[in-house]
Amino acid sequence: MSLRGERKVRTIGVTDPSGRNKIMSAREAVAEYIHAGTCVAIGGFGYTRLPMTLVREIIRQNVSDLFVTTCGAAAAMECLAASGLISRLDTTYIGLEGLQPVANSLRRQIEDGDIEIIEEYDNCSYSARALAGRYGWPFAPVMTGLGSDLMETDVLLGAGFPQRPEDGRCVHDSIPPQHHHVIDDPFNGWGLRPHEFRDGDTTGNETNALPEVRLSTRYTNRPGVKVVLVPPLIPEVAIIRAAVVGDEGTVRLEGGIWGADNEIGIAARILIVECEKIVPEADLRYAPEANTIAAHCVDVIVEQPFGGYPAAVPGYYDYDWDFWTSYSQLNRRNKEEVKRWWHSYVADTEDDWHFLATRAGRENTSGHGSIGWERLFELRADATYGYRPQLSRPLPRA
Amino acid sequence: LRSEGLTTTPRRLRVRNRYGEPGIETEFTVIDDARHEAYLAAGGIEIDPESATAAEWMVIATARAIPDGAFLFVGTGLPIAGCMMAQHTYAPNAVVVMESGVVGPKIEHLPVSVGDARASFHCTTIGSISDLFGSVATRGYATVGILGGAECDRYANLNSLSVNSCDPAGGPPRKLRLAGSGGANSIASLADVVIVMMPHERRRFPERCAHLTSPAGSRGRLGSCEERSRVGLYRGGSALIATDICVLRTETEGTGELLLEALYDEREEEEVYRNTGWVLGKSPTFHMMDPPTLEELKILRCIVDPTRIYLGRSRKR
Repeated sequence: MSLRGERKVRTIGVTDPSGRNKIMSAREAVAEYIHAGTCVAIGGFGYTRLPMTLVREIIRQNVSDLFVTTCGAAAAMECLAASGLISRLDTTYIGLEGLQPVANSLRRQIEDGDIEIIEEYDNCSYSARALAGRYGWPFAPVMTGLGSDLMETDVLLGAGFPQRPEDGRCVHDSIPPQHHHVIDDPFNGWGLRPHEFRDGDTTGNETNALPEVRLSTRYTNRPGVKVVLVPPLIPEVAIIRAAVVGDEGTVRLEGGIWGADNEIGIAARILIVECEKIVPEADLRYAPEANTIAAHCVDVIVEQPFGGYPAAVPGYYDYDWDFWTSYSQLNRRNKEEVKRWWHSYVADTEDDWHFLATRAGRENTSGHGSIGWERLFELRADATYGYRPQLSRPLPRA
Repeated sequence: LRSEGLTTTPRRLRVRNRYGEPGIETEFTVIDDARHEAYLAAGGIEIDPESATAAEWMVIATARAIPDGAFLFVGTGLPIAGCMMAQHTYAPNAVVVMESGVVGPKIEHLPVSVGDARASFHCTTIGSISDLFGSVATRGYATVGILGGAECDRYANLNSLSVNSCDPAGGPPRKLRLAGSGGANSIASLADVVIVMMPHERRRFPERCAHLTSPAGSRGRLGSCEERSRVGLYRGGSALIATDICVLRTETEGTGELLLEALYDEREEEEVYRNTGWVLGKSPTFHMMDPPTLEELKILRCIVDPTRIYLGRSRKR
């Protein structure tokens, strides 16, 4: 029986509580923490700072039946889905942005029932869930979703949600008991902006139908200002990509776009951070205000330069546009063929050093044909912009 | 635009913003004709140099509708082209915000996603998604939202989550999955005005959406027709739909349904009605929209979308 405070579950330091170094290879990290059925939150947004080294390692180890949650990393989800590894999804958006309005493998597998959609939120609600997870709040209030069919996908009451056993626990520890709960604002809308200052509010918005919404009886069956409470996001494992991480775990995402990485990273039970470079802690602690996740939140550090490829890491390299345009043609082939392709592309490489040296640029149909480090060198970011302004971005001819 | 070697001071053109504050003039960069010609020649692009394609019309109509000084909450995809066009023409003082966490960027190269580093160039701050939806959108800085969508109904309710498809062989209808809300529902809920960019196809303008993902207009779905304040939405209620052949606008007093506000080509009026799933009325302020000027087209082609990522799409009508 240990004294209070003596049993350290997590700590600042180069080792975890069992004395093992936090720095691991991607292979060790995935083998240790990501198993069939694990709820994995994926960081990054669009084509920026996706944790591709870990995504590829999951594909290599063929960890199937994953429960994936993210609001921005649709491209990373598409890679896992195409490899046949996702069975549950809690998300907001599954498009490949400008290149493919709906990511094809995700779309097909959801339609065919291979992937079960557990929950469907808008980004405001989802990010509020991540914030509640980060802060340890029991819920977070949002003013969105009201009046839409997203409120009707209450998965517990509606179709598609996994059964909840008799003991009240959900089938998975990361699935909340309820999609949302609507309450009447106890302050009756006093805080909604624009506020009624005597001299008017300075805020940008002009509309605030406070008198009318006070009369609303929807959802709660009595008049009042409706507020949607959403449950916290509590993933088992979060995988994110940062620019640099200190050897004790201090994270500096740097530049570009943050997405919800800090929130899901801090909310998760286990946080695995992959990065361009591991640096001595002291380097980051001279300017702690630029660091975004404290060292004690980090369980595993994986170093893999260029490992975000084919996504971008702002300040380091741009996304491989030619890869994504080629891939958005390729993923229209039948499911098995796409799965086999992922196998030949990723799964038969030994690790990401091998992958990057032999596969980067290999599948590009519209590029100049550079492969491996030569291709990666072509993508390096311009110092002024943080991306590569002269990157040619043609669309494939239909 | 440092990266393109434009080091000389560009010539500026003063223009009147027709949808913004009356009388406010903005000015925008004039692109050399030679650069435009070189662009058309280099890309092998087969378009009339002096008139707009359908996709170009849509982007230009959107940019013209954006008041200078607006807080623009931009959705991913086509809306990014609309907001960038506005920043480079009619609304240089608009503050662009994007759900990925970006506030006030000066966009020089077209981002392919709101999560593209191109979208964060010279922004004032970067925050997390919850920061952005909290300290910007809910706090009260999303005056104009720009969205895309798969379906738009009679009351400007948008669908970006799923549609029903009919089996041509006569089988039961199948649910087709679309991208999902992303930030669309949040933007439609929290902005004063929503501008929607959509190609005008009949399948995209049904009387009733298969899934009400984002309520952009003042009324709920057909049948219930509930006012948005009655479901608890305290902001917004007016929408403007910029399609590739016309502009629709919600009637703010009365029924709140979409009316035909402006047409690009009078020969296409029938086509608008044919491709709308309900009996479309005409707004009392209906007018023909001025055709895009050559200056607008040059900016759109040479600066905003030089590789035609968004402009190159074909219409399916």
